[in-house]
Amino acid sequence: MRIGIVCPYSFDVPGGVQFHVRDLAEHLLGQGHDVSVLAPADSDTLLQDYVVSAGRATPVRYNGSVARLNFGPVSAAKVGRWLERGDFDVLHLHEPVTPSISVLALFAAQGPIVATFHTSMLRSRTMQTAYPLVRPSLEKIAARIAVSEDARRTVTTHVGGDAVVIPNGVYVDRFADASRRPEWTGTEQRPTVAFLGRGGGAGKGRPVVAAGLPGGVQGLPGLGVLVAGPGDPDAARDGMPPGVADACEFLGAVSDEDKASLLASAGVYVAPNTGGESFGIILIEAMSAGACVLASDLPAFSRVLDGGAAGRLFRNEDPADLGRCLLELLRDPAGRRVLADAGARRARLFDWSVVGGRVLAVYETLVEGRAAARAAPQPGWQRFLRGGVGR
Amino acid sequence: MTGLATWGFAALFVLVLVGWHLSYTAARLDRLHVRLSGTLAALDAQLVRRAEASVELANSGLLDGATALLLADAAAAALEAPHESGEQRELVESDLTEALDVALTDEVVAGLEASGLLGQDYLGRLRSACTRVQLARRFHNDAVTDVRRVRRAWVVRVFHLAGHTPLPGTVEFADEAPTRLGA
Repeated sequence: MRIGIVCPYSFDVPGGVQFHVRDLAEHLLGQGHDVSVLAPADSDTLLQDYVVSAGRATPVRYNGSVARLNFGPVSAAKVGRWLERGDFDVLHLHEPVTPSISVLALFAAQGPIVATFHTSMLRSRTMQTAYPLVRPSLEKIAARIAVSEDARRTVTTHVGGDAVVIPNGVYVDRFADASRRPEWTGTEQRPTVAFLGRGGGAGKGRPVVAAGLPGGVQGLPGLGVLVAGPGDPDAARDGMPPGVADACEFLGAVSDEDKASLLASAGVYVAPNTGGESFGIILIEAMSAGACVLASDLPAFSRVLDGGAAGRLFRNEDPADLGRCLLELLRDPAGRRVLADAGARRARLFDWSVVGGRVLAVYETLVEGRAAARAAPQPGWQRFLRGGVGR
Repeated sequence: MTGLATWGFAALFVLVLVGWHLSYTAARLDRLHVRLSGTLAALDAQLVRRAEASVELANSGLLDGATALLLADAAAAALEAPHESGEQRELVESDLTEALDVALTDEVVAGLEASGLLGQDYLGRLRSACTRVQLARRFHNDAVTDVRRVRRAWVVRVFHLAGHTPLPGTVEFADEAPTRLGA
């Protein structure tokens, strides 16, 4: 199958949508399909050979944050050329209501279109003003995919109709096969706790950890806390009691490989996010690596952890509960192993072999329907109207 | 005289604008109807595939006689139903969904999985057909929603832009895949 995928966000900077597009494309290529990805990228960004650059992206404020997007007549012409050259059986657009190349491709494209909605935080004001403009184009989308229940709710309230929920995928084996690092691995009685965060961004819950850790650290002297992710360690140490700050080891930004090793080595992975995350991909990565997961009880996290069967949930934004749950887990190696095993089994459901298969089923349903409808006899006047152009 | 000409041009301009809007809306509606015929054909194809997979499983000799008979009956009814969507077809498809759910108990699925490649192949095909029926029905109902919304617009009704194409209705039947299939 010839598949064209459009990513609206620049490949210059990492991000959830970009990773999703990259992993999906690589899975489909592995299945023997012909895949081309169109994405904004700077000329000096190193791109995989299946990615076509739509030109340099401009940082713009949209939907409450700054995104690097691509727009304007030059981009529109580039998108048109890419579509023409690609002659795709299926066109898969990501975030079709972002003012970038996805919407340009939507305007220009004919033929079967699949769209994936990632965000659960579309502002309704933007939607209300933009809708009359994009609605006729949105009608071209024959299949809508949402990556989470929250994203699906956004589709049903703002776009109308429904969407099939197909979650984000993870290459489970990359995490399951990750090697352990002795310096990050604790003992049965003194395990290590890992925490990954992108600095002090809102919603990432670092203050909750800082407030919840004393409970864990004071209950178990010698506990090692590994904190990975960019951010200033000194700023993070401020406000922690001295004993807690000493137990923390700040690793800074880590590579993908180190992240997998860290998750594989750690006894407990803590996800204290307080909100904003529509999907817990990092939880699945931790589960794949065999870590026991302790996460806040956000609806998305609770769904990933199967309501607490595949990982422990604590009350969101409640440091005392976090401290208590952490201590319980740390003192109970057998319970940890049960949760970690259940998590590793559940993570398989999110492997790309499963998720990619479901995306492919969407493509095939669409393409077969199109072919069957075209084969069916049409009234003479319709044939006359559409002539040889046939669509 | 110039006043008259101005009015004439203004009227012409409005006429052209109205004409453009009409042709634009007609094209938009036509595109939606094409999408609709595609999703309907897909749904029909997937339903036929599901019924065929059920018939094959029933005739495979891997099921006990009673289960096989039950499944074959529901699947045959689904295959014989008129291919146009309608209440009758929705009923037989719901019946097939129910028959599959009743037939594929834990023991039956485990037995088929253990019976070797053939049994796994039957299960795999049934699993894939069941998920695709769900996908196709959802996509079709989405298309129906879009078509109905555009056809409610006054231009479409006043100028009869939809022609004689009947107003589509959503297709409603139980399409849950049997839980033990793990689809």
